[in-house]
Amino acid sequence: MLWLCILLPRFALEASAGGPPQAAQAALETLALWALQWSSQVSVRPADATGSALLWLEIGASRQLFGPLFGHDDALCERIAASLAPLGFSHRMGLAPTPQGAALLARADCPPHAAAATTPSQLQQRLAPLPLGLLALPRQHIAALEGAGLRRIGELLALPMAAIAQRFGPDTSLYLRRLRGEAQEPLRMVQPPCRFASRCEFASPVASTTALLFPLQRLLAGLQGYLRSLDRAIQRYTLVLEHHRQAATRLTIGLARPGRDAAQFQALARERLAALVLPAPVDALRVEAPELLQPLVLQTDLFSHEARQLEQLQQVLDRLAARLGATDVHTLRSAADHRPERAWGMAAAPLAGAQAAPATARPVMPARPCWLLREPQRIAMPRELLAGPERIESGWWDGADIARDYYLAREASGAQLWVFHDLRGGGWHVHGLWA
Amino acid sequence: MSQALNPAIRPASADAPAVAGPQLRDALRRQLERMGRRLPDDDPARPVALPTGFAALDAALNGGGWPTGAIIELMPEAQGIGELSLLLPALAQLNRAGRYVAWIAPPCLPYPPALEQHGLMLDRLLLVQAQDTPTILWAAEQALRCPAIGAVIAWPAALDDRRVRRLQLAAETGGSCGLLYRPVAAAQQSSPAALRLRLKALDGGLHIDILKARGGHTHALVVHPAAALCA
Repeated sequence: MLWLCILLPRFALEASAGGPPQAAQAALETLALWALQWSSQVSVRPADATGSALLWLEIGASRQLFGPLFGHDDALCERIAASLAPLGFSHRMGLAPTPQGAALLARADCPPHAAAATTPSQLQQRLAPLPLGLLALPRQHIAALEGAGLRRIGELLALPMAAIAQRFGPDTSLYLRRLRGEAQEPLRMVQPPCRFASRCEFASPVASTTALLFPLQRLLAGLQGYLRSLDRAIQRYTLVLEHHRQAATRLTIGLARPGRDAAQFQALARERLAALVLPAPVDALRVEAPELLQPLVLQTDLFSHEARQLEQLQQVLDRLAARLGATDVHTLRSAADHRPERAWGMAAAPLAGAQAAPATARPVMPARPCWLLREPQRIAMPRELLAGPERIESGWWDGADIARDYYLAREASGAQLWVFHDLRGGGWHVHGLWA
Repeated sequence: MSQALNPAIRPASADAPAVAGPQLRDALRRQLERMGRRLPDDDPARPVALPTGFAALDAALNGGGWPTGAIIELMPEAQGIGELSLLLPALAQLNRAGRYVAWIAPPCLPYPPALEQHGLMLDRLLLVQAQDTPTILWAAEQALRCPAIGAVIAWPAALDDRRVRRLQLAAETGGSCGLLYRPVAAAQQSSPAALRLRLKALDGGLHIDILKARGGHTHALVVHPAAALCA
């Protein structure tokens, strides 16, 4: 067993900024879910009177798991630290074969090489020079030790355990045996819930959507850890903004493909929030992800160039659609209709991996201009006609029939226009540009 | 022991895990070479320049075509002079290579029958309708960063050096061609774009003034985009 202890000395303050204590507790539960992506054995100690909280991760087993990828403990701890950094909690870490040992090294705030011990003897060495005040014992117990002339933890650990129990009581002796791994630490392990729902309550109502991004990042970090720990993915999640005495604002954020990357979830939410006008200040933020899906193997397929490109394309489409709305991101198709304004259509943005639609028979037509105006515009009789006419007479069956003679016209500027003479209503119109 | 344990001494960096990246990549590359394969991004088939489809223009451009991973500014004197047809052979070529082309805030509808006549594939076309300049530039930047998108064509209403530089960085990241249409008045200003062309109609052809070419020289020539279609 190898325990990583993450000490969060200002957790209560940083988690809820003076909000109710249950807000800090909820934040710690979310952070525990975040931690589950690194270890299946995660335990927490809620914020104490000083506002400091603890998180324990057993990484001995994870080290086996992540080993081939990340090499050694350093790399795993670095990954954990890098993932924690953007969440904005001050923290210190300790690594030891026992939870109490790891917590003590984290509290000691020593240089990195001295904050990690992988074997019991190394732990003994690391602890020896540290002051007794770092022991997680009640104040009066420490005073008793100091009264006996002891200063360093090493001096205490050098005494026989029976003598310690006799002189300083069973509490001190039990704690020291747990510290050294001679007694089992009773830790309650965090279990991932069957449904993900995480909530962040604000100390004072938040009036801007930008201010929601940071708390959201913490909730989504929890969601990512939760999904990774269960080896699941999601294709949508719900962002609920709670207001005072008013129905909550619910945003459903969809991904084109199942995913579990907090950064991706966040980018999509950012676009949606940027476009949102808050009906009222926000009292609390909630993230719900009711449907869990199988993750796609594609995402980790390092060698599939095409698959990776499509994945990247899909992420861009998701981001664009999140900010602009799905109807503003699309693709085009041509349609089998002789009427120029009906010879095309819009289609949903290309789906990654979608097969090209089979080519359908289309009317063979003379060259067409690159730009089509949305509506033909009335113009005076063109100065110079270079080619034409091409008569287009069609649509008698659906009431939108036309009868036009199309020409290629040139303006004084050299611009080439696609113009037509309306055989029914008369008059000249420009319909496109040979851009 | 653990370097990561005390962030005060060695700040935890978000990209810390990537440190092993280049070495891992090198090792993989060597391994794959022995197997007669190569890493995806080392594709030697991906050209540095994208042939324009016009021999005279290719000859005038450094690298023999549109620079990729770069911003190109096109400043037509009028609409409808072949300013878009100039790009179509290159775009068709990108489509055939499986890459997408993003059109961001075009002033008119890119007419699907015409695009197909020029060999473009409509299922590899991405049309983004954005209203205001910041959104247009944001969308262009997102698209440029994506390696699956080979070219991004955008019509921003206003542009300054800082924004062009941002787009330039995005184009470098994605390795794609960033084509910006600007009003002809912009030709008077300087710009960090890699290639700047002023376009005007001349005797049924398109007169191209190369105002700036990174690593190349300024030049003027005439091509006939419309003629390419008739042929």
